[in-house]
Amino acid sequence: MLMRLRGVSKDYPKVATGGDRLRTLLALLMQRRDRPHFRALEAIDLEVKRGESVGIIGENGAGKSPLLKIVAGVVRPTTGTIEVNGRVGALLELGSGFHPDYTGRENIYLSGALMGLSRSQTQAKVESIIAFADIGEHIEEPIKHYSSGMVVRLGFAVATTLEPELLITDEVLAVGDESFQKKCITWLERFLAGGGTLLLCSHSMFHIQTLCRTALWIHHGKVRMHGNAFDVTREYLTYHEEKSVSAPATPALAQGPVPRIVEIWTEDDAGAPASVFRHGASLVLQGIAYEPDDRAPVILMGITRLDGSPIYGAHSNETEYQPARLSQRKFAFAVRFDALELLPGKYRLRAHTLDAEGLRVFDTVEVQIVVTGESRDYGVVRLPHRWLAGRGVLRAPHDATIP
Amino acid sequence: MPPISPVAEASPHSARWGWLLYSFTRREILSRYAGSFTGVAWTLLHPLAQLAIFAFVFTQVFRVGVPPDYPGVAYVTFVAVALWPWIMFSEGLASAMGSIGANGGLIRKVAFPHRLLVYASVLACCAVHLVGFLAVLLALKVMGEPIRLSGLPVAAVLLLPYILLATGIGALLAALQTLLRDVAHVVQVLIMVLFYASPILYPASLAPEVFRKWLLVNPLAWFSERLREVLLQGSGLVAGDAIAALGCVAVFLGGLWIFNRLSPSFEEFL
Repeated sequence: MLMRLRGVSKDYPKVATGGDRLRTLLALLMQRRDRPHFRALEAIDLEVKRGESVGIIGENGAGKSPLLKIVAGVVRPTTGTIEVNGRVGALLELGSGFHPDYTGRENIYLSGALMGLSRSQTQAKVESIIAFADIGEHIEEPIKHYSSGMVVRLGFAVATTLEPELLITDEVLAVGDESFQKKCITWLERFLAGGGTLLLCSHSMFHIQTLCRTALWIHHGKVRMHGNAFDVTREYLTYHEEKSVSAPATPALAQGPVPRIVEIWTEDDAGAPASVFRHGASLVLQGIAYEPDDRAPVILMGITRLDGSPIYGAHSNETEYQPARLSQRKFAFAVRFDALELLPGKYRLRAHTLDAEGLRVFDTVEVQIVVTGESRDYGVVRLPHRWLAGRGVLRAPHDATIP
Repeated sequence: MPPISPVAEASPHSARWGWLLYSFTRREILSRYAGSFTGVAWTLLHPLAQLAIFAFVFTQVFRVGVPPDYPGVAYVTFVAVALWPWIMFSEGLASAMGSIGANGGLIRKVAFPHRLLVYASVLACCAVHLVGFLAVLLALKVMGEPIRLSGLPVAAVLLLPYILLATGIGALLAALQTLLRDVAHVVQVLIMVLFYASPILYPASLAPEVFRKWLLVNPLAWFSERLREVLLQGSGLVAGDAIAALGCVAVFLGGLWIFNRLSPSFEEFL
């Protein structure tokens, strides 16, 4: 057991007026609880095993940040207990613990000291941190002149050097640029493969699904759902879907004026949602697309490896295929792979929407699948083949000439 | 890319926080001069300017004399001996009080003992002004003032509880200031009152008889007078110093106790 929260609640004082502040001060000194407060987290129970990464999702203000801060040790819970058996590295919001007037390099030393590294330990890592952050000459400039992306790059590089057993990140992947995000995800995947544990707070269901096995949905300070990352994220997206339907004041604009994928998921042969498939079994990719002009969109479907390198892709307009119209502006599509020839491993299934003409790509949504089975083949996919008896003699085919 | 597998063992707690305290203090000292041309010189110039003003006002305008038990001591020397420790105290107090607010970003995101910020503010102030103090004492000595450099070790022993006092009060004020925003304004006024209520610009013997016994209840008055006796008259340690030191330790522990009680809640108020 790496981390255990039992009945953790967190109250924040209401300090709108000076009188409230004074009452709170006295209550704190007397260690009484009767101070004006509101409850940010209520009775959270959570156990995280070593190597079991948990995604934390929820709306803004649901209590995700206080929860991460409690685990990071920055905040003491009002009630309940927390037990952490391992080194924690926390990356809470932008530029955790950087001093704006200090150069990047000086901040690395300060962060090292804050994380409990000695001067020589920090010194040994400075160059690799700088290399990972990859912000060039700016490392010698004060942090206050950095762009937010650069701060995050440096923050991520620093937070990962302590080699924490539990890494807590709060919506930081969203800030870096595409290539840095990729670098972070590669690092995180390596970290997870090496037995590391991640507590990831993100609004990107894709990141949660990719990096976490389970997910915790916090709603108004309470646990709404806790379980398989795919199940929880799907419920969460459904909740938002219903919410935007029941709030007609924000129709098309909130949905975005361009075609997009609302949701995709994978099913097994029997039509049950699944993310783990045996090699050679059937897989059905189901999805819902949104098209603002109510015209059937073109879907682009593909399979990639975890690092994003493509394995196979196809357009829905290669045939006469048309997604089924579900309701106004909503279309359902599905792709069936009768016998999945991917070799055992982890893959991503992607769907993109194109406009009705099939010209512009608008959106990318991915899900991760695991293919299981025993195979001694190499590569990513089994190509149909058979072994024959060799002839042993080179013979020119009669219908071709060899120069 | 940072390696993942081999585990860097974090240092044991005391060493770990010691290094962090050093880093904070260093940062505090350096950030005073970040972006200024003359840098460290300001640390000396500022109190020197103050000293010059006081010397002019109180020797040329008000004509305050040095009492006869300090034979051959110029008024400038008389004031300088008490002024630097006072500056150390009042600046240390003020920067300790502001240290929690100034490092709010850190407190909201990183777990570490908050009291280190208070210690670092006071230490930075002391380090900077002790250097200035020594420089001024040496300069005055060279100019022929009867300063007893042999009293320096005793003076150092006296300054230690004085610094503890500043740290204790600073910790208390830092905690209160974080929860109640009015504290800083009140303290500003109190520091000014305290300055004139302490025999820094004048000898305690000059105060009216009625006030004099109250004057020495003020620990700052005690230390000012004692530092003069040690550095200008060659006095050694007396029993009163031990009592004063005990009082300072008590204030330090008390201030820290309140600080530690309130510090888990700082994050909620920043």
